[in-house]
Amino acid sequence: MINFLRKTFKNGWDNFWRQGFLTFATSLVIFIAVILGTALFFFQGGVAYLSQQLEDKIDISVTFKANVERNTILEIKDSLLTLNQVKKVDYISSEDAYDAFVTVHEGDQYMEALSLLGTNPFLPSLRIQTKEASQYKEVSEYLAKDEYKELISEVNDYKRGVMIEKLTDLTRSVQVLGLFLTISLSLIAVIITFNTLRLSIYSQKEEIEIMRLVGAKNSFIRGPFLVQGGLCGFFASIISFMLLTIVLFALNGLMTTLFMGFDCLAFFKANIVDVIFLELLIGLGLGLLSSYFAVRKYLRD
Amino acid sequence: MIEFKNVSKEYPPNLVKESKVALQNITFSVKPGEFVTLCGRSGAGKTTILKMISCEEKPSSGVVMFDETNTLDVKKSDAYLIRQKIGFIFQDYKLLAYKTVYENVAYALEAFDFNDKLVRDEVMQVLELVGLENKVNCLPRELSGGEKQRVSIARALIHRPEIILADEPTGNLDPYHTREIVKILLKINESGSTVILSTHSRETVNSLEKRVITLENGRIIRDEEKGVFSL
Repeated sequence: MINFLRKTFKNGWDNFWRQGFLTFATSLVIFIAVILGTALFFFQGGVAYLSQQLEDKIDISVTFKANVERNTILEIKDSLLTLNQVKKVDYISSEDAYDAFVTVHEGDQYMEALSLLGTNPFLPSLRIQTKEASQYKEVSEYLAKDEYKELISEVNDYKRGVMIEKLTDLTRSVQVLGLFLTISLSLIAVIITFNTLRLSIYSQKEEIEIMRLVGAKNSFIRGPFLVQGGLCGFFASIISFMLLTIVLFALNGLMTTLFMGFDCLAFFKANIVDVIFLELLIGLGLGLLSSYFAVRKYLRD
Repeated sequence: MIEFKNVSKEYPPNLVKESKVALQNITFSVKPGEFVTLCGRSGAGKTTILKMISCEEKPSSGVVMFDETNTLDVKKSDAYLIRQKIGFIFQDYKLLAYKTVYENVAYALEAFDFNDKLVRDEVMQVLELVGLENKVNCLPRELSGGEKQRVSIARALIHRPEIILADEPTGNLDPYHTREIVKILLKINESGSTVILSTHSRETVNSLEKRVITLENGRIIRDEEKGVFSL
């Protein structure tokens, strides 16, 4: 058995190096498939990042009247947190709001206008995030209760929630589209790779015929082709990984800008094991499976 | 050893070809150690007979027996067991283009899962027999037609088959190399292997003075001991 495996690997290895053009063509197609698969993995990561960003940015803001006590606002905050729909509530005091304004507008005309007032015009507020965008309306209705009417100056009401809901729907659509693109492009990559390998093995049809005629068992004929396909996939994965690493380190700044703040390098570092596994899975999987099915056709005839 | 009983073969029609009758009700047998020449024009059915012996083709009717095995009962996946008893020599050599002379010959033994030392010894021995011990590392494209055919013969002999099937082995060779190949085939036969040679070369048939089966349009028209070319 060990002898058989050793010979199979040796024959596959020899074929891999000797059939330079076929090896190159096959590896190139698998390389493209691996790159495509990896790009789609990053795309999914980017979509998830953008969705998260959007979800974090959208909220409902409740501004209280100047005379409302901090403790009263905190009680309202606690009561809001008991609602199933609410994910997070942040209390922003009038001082915090002032500081935030100063940070953003330092030195500009708004600051001049603010200094003219001579007092802090900002009111304390609560920033509420719900679990679903559709729940902003329910939270808004909860805040419209009589007991709160006297305390609240303004609520960025659910009309904003409608816009948020639309944005969330859009994000979901992008995610679904991304998934659809991932599946369809992966299928295309598999079909192209399979056909390239099939053509490559078709050119060796006569060799398979000769191997059969000299009395080789099907497994002895198939083995080297599997090794050859596997090697093409393995090298395609390695080259793809190296290229990806170089590109990410060299162009990460540009890519982060291009992908709206999505830090590809950080994503890559955080998911490096997944990336390696994915690339090897695509490369080896395509190489081995395509070889297996392509050779099977000639061994059946 | 080999027996054809009322064997017919008809290839069904396809998009580009009409149906073709390759063999019509032929009966003959070959004993162990015999040298038989199948003689006939192109399309007479010589190659079809060889393909039936090696289980590449099955008869449309009749029976082909190989060592008391009915080839109709042999599954495709088990056909290698029959082929391991056969050594093939082809007109177009059918060498593996990416393998050296050594590897082409060794391949047939490797398929039997022999160890490396035994393979090396046997390959060198048989390459010496066909006079190619100096071309061990050459690729087929670096060899002449005669040398390629000798590699093909070496490959056919390496596993000491019971029978050698030679399909027009001298078809692409000049008279000098033809005589060389015929001499080698006779030597193989003298060592005890059965040889079935398919040819349409008058000189080759007449020089052998062995049994000749003459085919025409898929029928046996003559079967003579020490026959001559008579078409």
